[in-house]
Amino acid sequence: MKSCLTLLTFLIHILYLTGQEKPTPPEGMVYVPAGEFIMGSTYGDPDERPQQIASTKAYFIDKYEVSNTEFAKFDPTFKFPPEKKNNAAVVTWSKADAYAKWAGKRLPTEKEWEKAARGIDGRVFPWGDTYDNTYVVWDQKETRGTSIAKPASPYGCYDMAGSVWEWTSDWYKPYPGNEVPMEQYGETYKVMRGGSNFNNHSFIRTSQRYYVLPEKIHVYPVGIRCVKDIN
Amino acid sequence: MFKNCLLPLVSVFIFINHGLLAQKVNQFPKKTDPLHKKVEMFDRLMLGNHWNEGAIMQHVIFPPAGLEQPIIGSQADCLDPTSEMLAAYSHKYAITGDPKDRKIANDIFEAILKLEKVTGVEGLVARSFNRTNEPLWHEEVFWYHEWHQSSSMPGYRWLGDLSADKFTSIFYGVGTFWELCADAEYKEKAAGLLDRFIGRVVDNNFKLTDLDGKMTLWGNFCPNLPHQELNSLEMLAALKVTHHITGKERYNAAYHMLIDRYHYDDHQINSKILFPKEWRNVGDDYHAARSLYMIMRLETDPSLLNKYRMNLNRHWYDWKDIEFTWESNIWFLMVYKVLTGEEIFTEEKKQGIKDMWGFERNTREFKIPQKDGSFKMVRSEEERTAAAMIRNYWFGRYYGIIDEKW
Repeated sequence: MKSCLTLLTFLIHILYLTGQEKPTPPEGMVYVPAGEFIMGSTYGDPDERPQQIASTKAYFIDKYEVSNTEFAKFDPTFKFPPEKKNNAAVVTWSKADAYAKWAGKRLPTEKEWEKAARGIDGRVFPWGDTYDNTYVVWDQKETRGTSIAKPASPYGCYDMAGSVWEWTSDWYKPYPGNEVPMEQYGETYKVMRGGSNFNNHSFIRTSQRYYVLPEKIHVYPVGIRCVKDIN
Repeated sequence: MFKNCLLPLVSVFIFINHGLLAQKVNQFPKKTDPLHKKVEMFDRLMLGNHWNEGAIMQHVIFPPAGLEQPIIGSQADCLDPTSEMLAAYSHKYAITGDPKDRKIANDIFEAILKLEKVTGVEGLVARSFNRTNEPLWHEEVFWYHEWHQSSSMPGYRWLGDLSADKFTSIFYGVGTFWELCADAEYKEKAAGLLDRFIGRVVDNNFKLTDLDGKMTLWGNFCPNLPHQELNSLEMLAALKVTHHITGKERYNAAYHMLIDRYHYDDHQINSKILFPKEWRNVGDDYHAARSLYMIMRLETDPSLLNKYRMNLNRHWYDWKDIEFTWESNIWFLMVYKVLTGEEIFTEEKKQGIKDMWGFERNTREFKIPQKDGSFKMVRSEEERTAAAMIRNYWFGRYYGIIDEKW
């Protein structure tokens, strides 16, 4: 009897944990569990330092960047060429933020973005540490999900390297412990992540940070990938 | 801030309507003119209409939006025509020995020095500059948010975010100038510039870094970061040229460190993406051609030369069938001939050289941002660049590929 109770308790615990750890993501999103991960780098730009152990709560994140078609559902005045209906939408920060809220989601923090892109092991790219042109969207005529190898991030996201940059909710500020001065630090610039198909390979590293004026993106292609809190 | 810029723009339109102000040079050659005449006339157009205190503008729009010099247009690539004209006049001077040609080359070189001076940071070279205290309208539409007001040269604004291809323009143009045209004083100046410029990149672990200390969008030659094979070639070529010109051992040491420890010599072989075929990029071939032209004439190690030749051969696989659709294509073949000695110029290709052309002057509408956030459509004339054609001509003359009677 005692053994049965022990087994039952164990099974209930496992079921509880399973239920906690793997809630079913909404359509088009993937699950990122709570916990620690390696953030930043020792070899990139000074603003990526110090490399640190960071942690997040669990959350859902979009599998793909938001497309032109999806964004136009939120903003019917949004115009794009018909042949680019499945390309990632390129918008200012306030529009990205508004879209996320409209969709019942929000923009990711830098921490959430980086963890979703690289998992916990500090890898350089979402798929690992090596690079090949077939791993990313090379042709600027297309963006979402059109790379040849179609590598996914450890949690199942696509195009977190290349395609378009992606907005985060964070202002461009130094990481705790970073003492390299940058006049851009503060609440003027937002951080975009992931690089695009118009910059060198190093900009698509998972730890790369880049600052941009939230409402003046000039010709930087910056798009949207939303997260959703888990209640 | 744009309002102030637009007022003179409107005024200039009024002047033009009254025929009081026009482009400095308006005479165009005919397509049927002999090559030497076409080159001479395009040369006048470039020096007259594209001259920005010695820097050669890739794209000019008339009227010039309130400035004395007609320089308003895309400026991100202006180091390309600047280096091409510097090389052109260096080759020309090597043929003519005419002090006037040397003076023009010196003035263009001085503009590259100014591109460094305007940033206020030793060894940091701008993409372009304008003499103005106010942001100009095209800053908002033609490039990233990388324009700065100069603190070292009051009254100037400059464009940052230098890239690997402009890096190549600098060591190619300045290296050619040093080799063929500069007198002792300018040889020293040229060596000093490359020492500061390439030295800064080496000191930053082979990265082009901007005023903010971050690596530029296209400034990655770093052995610790993933980068294109082409960038490995460009870095090796830059170090080879800089060592040759400055005589400083640090550049030779850096060259061999990148080869011995990081295998840049092997990495560079695949600079040319051949497959899939649709990924072939002749724009990148231009940077490879300039790098191979500089490095293969200086390298003496047979093993390394073999690897550079492999790179050239991979390019040739594509170039051998290339159509002469733009002037740099023609130069690829000239470079190939100079480096290999192979007779590749058929009568058809020679005719292609004779048919070289600079640009047409077009009229189009520009969407000019206003201070209130709206846009105003302004109809204007524009010119692209003929610098590559002019460089091709004097390069071809120098190496005996082009006959002066053509």
